[in-house]
Amino acid sequence: MKETNIVNETGDAVISLEGVAFGYDPEHPILHNITLSVPRGQWVSIVGPNGCGKSTLVKLLNALLPKSAGEIVVCGQPLEEETIGSIRGSIGMVFQNPDNQFVGATVEEDILFGLEGLCLSYDEMDERLKLYTEKLGISHLLSKHPGELSGGQKQRVAIASILAMKPGIVIFDEASSMLDEGSRNELLVILQGMRDEGYTILMITHDADEILASDRVLALHGGSLAADLTPEELFRDQELLARCHLREPYPWQLARELQRLGIRTDVPASEKELIDTLWPYNYSK
Amino acid sequence: MNERLLLGRSIETGSWVHKLDARSKITGMLLYLAIILLSHSWAAMGLLAVFSVAVMLSTRIPLKYFIKSAKPLRFLMLFIFIVQMLSVKEGEAWLTLGSFSLYEGGLRLGAFSVIRMLFLVTFTSLLTFTTTPGKLNQGLEGILSPFKKLGLKPDRLTMMIGLALRFIPTILDESQIILKAQASRGADLKELPLKEKGRMLVSLLVPVITSAFRRAQDLVYSMEARGFRMDAPRTRYHRLRWGTADTLFVVMFIIMGVAVAVL
Amino acid sequence: MAIQLQQVSYTYADRSLWRQTALHDINLSIAQGSMVGIAGATGSGKSTLLQLFNGILKPSQGTVQVLDVTIQAGEKAPRLLPLRRRVGLVFQFPEQQMFEETVEKDLIFGPLNFGMSPEEAKARARQAMTDMGLDLELLERNPFRLSGGQMRKAAIASVLAMDPEIIVLDEPTATLDPLSRAELIGLLERLCREQGRTIIIVTHRMDELLPYADHWALLKEGGLMFQGSGLALAQDPDILERCGLSVPQSLRYWHAVARRFGLEGEQPCLTADSLAERIALLQAEGMRDSHE
Repeated sequence: MKETNIVNETGDAVISLEGVAFGYDPEHPILHNITLSVPRGQWVSIVGPNGCGKSTLVKLLNALLPKSAGEIVVCGQPLEEETIGSIRGSIGMVFQNPDNQFVGATVEEDILFGLEGLCLSYDEMDERLKLYTEKLGISHLLSKHPGELSGGQKQRVAIASILAMKPGIVIFDEASSMLDEGSRNELLVILQGMRDEGYTILMITHDADEILASDRVLALHGGSLAADLTPEELFRDQELLARCHLREPYPWQLARELQRLGIRTDVPASEKELIDTLWPYNYSK
Repeated sequence: MNERLLLGRSIETGSWVHKLDARSKITGMLLYLAIILLSHSWAAMGLLAVFSVAVMLSTRIPLKYFIKSAKPLRFLMLFIFIVQMLSVKEGEAWLTLGSFSLYEGGLRLGAFSVIRMLFLVTFTSLLTFTTTPGKLNQGLEGILSPFKKLGLKPDRLTMMIGLALRFIPTILDESQIILKAQASRGADLKELPLKEKGRMLVSLLVPVITSAFRRAQDLVYSMEARGFRMDAPRTRYHRLRWGTADTLFVVMFIIMGVAVAVL
Repeated sequence: MAIQLQQVSYTYADRSLWRQTALHDINLSIAQGSMVGIAGATGSGKSTLLQLFNGILKPSQGTVQVLDVTIQAGEKAPRLLPLRRRVGLVFQFPEQQMFEETVEKDLIFGPLNFGMSPEEAKARARQAMTDMGLDLELLERNPFRLSGGQMRKAAIASVLAMDPEIIVLDEPTATLDPLSRAELIGLLERLCREQGRTIIIVTHRMDELLPYADHWALLKEGGLMFQGSGLALAQDPDILERCGLSVPQSLRYWHAVARRFGLEGEQPCLTADSLAERIALLQAEGMRDSHE
């Protein structure tokens, strides 16, 4: 990749929030006193029960919703009226419903919708259109109408549309929850590729596999930040999991149940590994 | 279902008509409308038929698609034919049943109305078949651009048309599902007395409208997140290019117009 | 049998332009009072199949027999309204069909359409709320003010209020969080076990239904690839991959343990706690054997 704006400079924060709040009624804010920072290139899972304010939080970052208090700084720019345009340029968002974010009548038009708004030259648009449709494996679908695509294909189009605008940060707002299992796995592979290319990823999710693949978990509860920890720490904290309406991946559940029965075992990486650890001697019964 | 899916759908074959500037195609269609109104004789109708079919064939899109696009209007056409046939009392009477007669003029005018309508619908679908909604919109915007001075905003208008075309099939699909869901709860419009039908309509409309609002909200988020601002400058990937073929296309229609007016 | 399909095919009249999945030559039996999972990749015809169960769609070929009603291709269908009360069909995202200003009004909509008296309908609504684990206080609420999970359960309750013998659900847990998903499947299982209703669930998240389903039907490109018990499925999990589905982890782990110890004939342990206990038992047996 030859992009210069997504070079991995670990350490500096691309997103920082200081005492951020949101709500129309100051007595009952939807979000209150959120302070956090995300370094460049990090993959962050945002978890929490429905109605905890996850989706609101990410919409504050590019001013799709107006914050009622606090400071938001994205890529070194404080979020103000004048910087909204440039901040929206550095944040891409993929939403839950694959249908409702498809602006164009064809795949090509949808990808061009964002590029034309950037006032790019024909050659530049053409190059990005080719590059990103190829990357997402949708170049054969360019003239298709959204009604002819599966949910997974539509989400690929949404991702291509956004990556073609070259944001450094990509936010996924429950982007996998309406997909079938195969498409969810494909999305996970795309995300891993994006991490390797240095994108900063914020992902609202309930999916244990997606959380496990990420670097860090922010747990929201009742409109405030309840925990900031690693996926492994989250999956070991039964109380927090229950509060966030989550479950750990199956191998973690199994290891926990085995430990409860006094069988010492680590979380197995595969079923084969479990069998090999539990029954190291090759006896047959 | 097929008919509504043809709405705003292009069928790519790469023919010369596909490659034309959308503006020339829109102009051509407007001229075609005038030509239809100018045709008053069987000879003109015949010439028009030959011309229309020739242009349709040159798009390399199977003729049956054009015919299908007129299918939803078949009852309307039949109705117009009957009304014309019965109301116009010109020429000689061909058939007399008691006090009631069918006149040659009535039959002719009835037939002309139906043929005109058929031509109009099938031939104008040529525009949507050979032009993607985006290009069509862009062409419309180009044609309307002189009205900018009058305070009209063609880009807003075409954006609205574009989004409507994009979402109408989605919303119709969803209405189908809600219709089935309510039928599963015993609200089958077909099986209920008229008095109940009104109430059933509410059970269909409220979900459809609620969902349309939710879609609109999602769409606004998606557009704004991609930096969209009303009236902000934009560049275009597909540019409008008026070439010799476009001029020829329009001239072709003008010649046709003169020909049918003479015949 | 609650439902029996014989050589059923379904063809959409107009699939030339749009992606529609037809069904071909389906022979399927669903026993009364059982809990059945139907799985298949996107576009395998799952949703089409469901709509045959209450006569929303009629077969192009073959015979669909539901309870004591027979719908035969090419013949005039019997009056379907009574059947629709007895077979509750819950579409995907059922909360989107709610339209009344209170939850109660929405719940009695179905029962009233099927000719129940208002008192009876209200009693059914209360029962359905309880069955779905919802607080009766919510009856007076506006459905649009409920949380996502509550709204989903209320919408299912609106079908349950018709007192159907068979309940068919299309992806009932889609977009819910993992705890709400597990809770919903638990509630549906109770409807099956405690009230004897036949529950049919279409899902592509097989893992959550695997421990509870008595019977599975797998579809691929409009054809029925497999039907049989959960035990039969556990013995041959590869069939899932042939249907374009991935094998859930719970099944993979059980299958590995079962093969290692020759337990393939046993009722599979498809939850983490049941498998852990089975492993503990195996270990204890192993210990005892090595001491002898």
